[in-house]
Amino acid sequence: MKKKIQVTLNGKKTDLEVPSHRLLLDLLRDEIGLTGTKEGCGTGDCGACTVLLNGKPVNSCLIFSGELDGADIVTIEGLKIGPELHPVQRAFVQDGGVQCGYCTSGMLMMSKALLDENPDPSEDDIRFAISGNLCRCTGYAKIVKAVQDAARELRARR
Amino acid sequence: MEPLTVVGKPVTRVDADEKVTGEAVYGYDLVLPNMVYGKILFSPKAHAKIKRINIDRARQYPGVVAVVTGKDAPWIHGESIRDKPFLAQDKVRYIGEPVAALAAVDEDTAEAAVRLIEVEYEDLPAYTSPEDAARPDAAAIHENFASYRKMPFVTPGIGNVCEHFKLRTGDVEHGFREADIVLEERYSVPIIQHAAMEPHSAHAQVDPATGRVTIWVANDAPFRALHEITEALDLPKEKVRFINPLQGGGFGSKGGLKVEPVAVALAYKTNGRPVRVKFNREETFISTLTRHGAIVHVKSGVKKNGAITAREMTIYWNGGAYAEKSPTVCIRGSLPAPGPYRIPNVKVDGYAVYTNLPVAGSFRGYGIPQGAWAVEQHTDELARRLGMDPLAFRMQNVFADGDTSYWGEELHSVGLKETLQKAADAIEWGKKVDGVPGSRVKGLKVGKGLACIQKPTRSPTTSSAGVIVNAKGEASVLAGTVEIGQGCNTILCQIAAEELKMPFDKVRTAPLDTDVIPYDASTTSSRSTYHMGNAVKGAAIDAREKLAELAAPMLEAKKDEIAFADGKIFLKHQPEMALPIGEVVRRKLGAEGTVRGDASYTYELAKDLDLETGHSDNASAFYMYATQAAVIAVDEETGRARLLKMAAAHDVGKAINPINCAAQIEGGLAMGIGSALHEHLVIDQNGKVRNPSFLDYHLVTALDLPEMVPIIVECPEPEGPYGAKGLGEPGLAPTPAAIGNAVADAIGTRVHDLPLSPERIFWVIQQKKKGKAA
Repeated sequence: MKKKIQVTLNGKKTDLEVPSHRLLLDLLRDEIGLTGTKEGCGTGDCGACTVLLNGKPVNSCLIFSGELDGADIVTIEGLKIGPELHPVQRAFVQDGGVQCGYCTSGMLMMSKALLDENPDPSEDDIRFAISGNLCRCTGYAKIVKAVQDAARELRARR
Repeated sequence: MEPLTVVGKPVTRVDADEKVTGEAVYGYDLVLPNMVYGKILFSPKAHAKIKRINIDRARQYPGVVAVVTGKDAPWIHGESIRDKPFLAQDKVRYIGEPVAALAAVDEDTAEAAVRLIEVEYEDLPAYTSPEDAARPDAAAIHENFASYRKMPFVTPGIGNVCEHFKLRTGDVEHGFREADIVLEERYSVPIIQHAAMEPHSAHAQVDPATGRVTIWVANDAPFRALHEITEALDLPKEKVRFINPLQGGGFGSKGGLKVEPVAVALAYKTNGRPVRVKFNREETFISTLTRHGAIVHVKSGVKKNGAITAREMTIYWNGGAYAEKSPTVCIRGSLPAPGPYRIPNVKVDGYAVYTNLPVAGSFRGYGIPQGAWAVEQHTDELARRLGMDPLAFRMQNVFADGDTSYWGEELHSVGLKETLQKAADAIEWGKKVDGVPGSRVKGLKVGKGLACIQKPTRSPTTSSAGVIVNAKGEASVLAGTVEIGQGCNTILCQIAAEELKMPFDKVRTAPLDTDVIPYDASTTSSRSTYHMGNAVKGAAIDAREKLAELAAPMLEAKKDEIAFADGKIFLKHQPEMALPIGEVVRRKLGAEGTVRGDASYTYELAKDLDLETGHSDNASAFYMYATQAAVIAVDEETGRARLLKMAAAHDVGKAINPINCAAQIEGGLAMGIGSALHEHLVIDQNGKVRNPSFLDYHLVTALDLPEMVPIIVECPEPEGPYGAKGLGEPGLAPTPAAIGNAVADAIGTRVHDLPLSPERIFWVIQQKKKGKAA
């Protein structure tokens, strides 16, 4: 059964007609073509598919499209601020927080959600926030540093 | 020598921007026009005859484009032993083996239809233990093994042993008689999985007019995969093309042929439409690749003065249902398994054994972690019995420059002692720690441990590269090294920029396509920095020479009067006479013109191991050395171990990019810590994987890791580019043993089996309390 929904996707009002059972992850990747959101497990265990839904981080592989009418969705493709990288993106680049990059989108969305809520997180806060986002390459050290640096940069901008 | 301008600098990764914006396209993301969607029916039986397959209902399901079984795809592939069918032929050998597949107009249809394929099986006895499967009277898992085509270095054993590696040096019995102490132990390592964050996938298309096969896959060795698939299909090389989208991590799991065979089998039946086959996480767990579980027996003799007189080892490598890379993991893992020590009498028997389990193959470390888990703990046990400090015992016995290894090779550029000292210093070796300040748990026992390794690289192998310089003053590096996350694209650009004296941001790598990119053996074995680094360096020098020839008449000078710096070509004695590199190209060849340099590198001195003795006086292009050290707190009430700190000192020869090196070390440590404390593919007696998900298979999270101290040691390798060796693989190799030694230091007894779970630690503590040996 297809359902008509309207969402705000990366700041743009978007009308969609999708089967209610279609998962948000598949909606983004297969129907809209936004493949920046990654699938690592499809069962909510790895965080690679994290997006912001009404400002909160969610595993998009666990959300049905049918629930989305009126929702505000931000994906990795909507993280830049105009043409500029978001400070958390820039920090990941500069600090070496990226290796294979497959967890990076989800890690960045989770980090942004943390920094939106807590502008001055401790190392423990950061590790706790990203503990549902698995990374097999980095050992998380440079990711944690990148989030700390991004927090500093964002605070300086206020 | 001129000072280096780009090499050795912590430049930012060339692929970081596209990865943080989501623009990077991975194999799993790829969408091809008019593609159909493949789905596989996997075997639910560990070992069974296929009595009957009925595909009628699936074929008639609306939206199904093609259905294939083993009959439609009678091809067999295999790297060192040709034993693996594209789809099961008459029998299945593990739970997860592809039996049939179909392609449909969308994923939902494919998933629904694949369930309609009916298969009738007749059970056969299944083996899960390599020791059982290796018995001479064990039933054959491969009845026609003798007739399989094998690479010349493969030396099969009896029964299900697909490789029996032998090392014979001196006389171990004599060595044991000379010894004051003889110690014999058994260790084991469970099967674990790579668990790269991107699951496996492949896309394939067969052009109906020409029969040409194109495969889009994030494979770590596209040229080797091309060889393997053309050999299986009996096609000339030019009939197959591999295109590499980005790879979301591999760690050894994405080499060889994994999803490719089924994608190709389907593509032959879809009348030119491309086929996508994606594995979900569970399918990736059960049907791609695992790391060899191993049982390691080790016996050593030592004298009271600390000299090691003999070491004898027997290692069983659990190969799973097909050989894949088992023979080479067995050979290259068993050869240095006795550790980086001077030992006059050594005997090693390594057995890679077929079992009815998912296929084991290459995994970061390539056989070194299994041997190290045993030998490095065994080393501490020997030191304890001798009353020696484990660091001092190692310092007395480890290889140094000029030593001849037990396989007969004189070693050079051995940075091992420096790694030992630096790792030990980083955890304040020798300084006792009582408890953990601030901990809510009272009575924690704190221990320290270290472990060291030596790792060879696959030799001899070849890398070729091209460098193209355009009229805009930009360069493109054509290299078959696959960016799997390790950062190869960045360091290859650094090397090209260094030799062309161009700004780093003007140099980028070209996409990987076997039709246009020069040959490379593989992105494995930590071989790329050294081999491809040398090739790219040579290609850049070749391009520079050609540019100098073009520039000489423009500057009214001889070629040897010309120099390069800052993206310009100028006269050595008159630096103001300068032309931008792009301008030189444009003047001679026009605005679209390019100059291309090429080079190849092969380590030609390498010699194959003798099949009877395992000896070679040049077994590897270079060796990597590393020491890791751990500080751990153990709660004796619960058996829970919490790492407080880990230091990892790695001899990389020369760090082309120090940030990348640190990142590799940290990532390797995290993986090693996971394999030490958590990871274990739980497989029941019927051969079924019980934890094929990230919920049940515990990867380390950001909360599980201690403070990590990466330490770069640079003991230059004369043949390597700028002195570089390799780094990717050793990162996790000594980790479990270092942690195991720390646990033993903390609790006064030892765990012999991985992972170091609370249950195991608790158990050995109880055993010790009862006064029994663990």
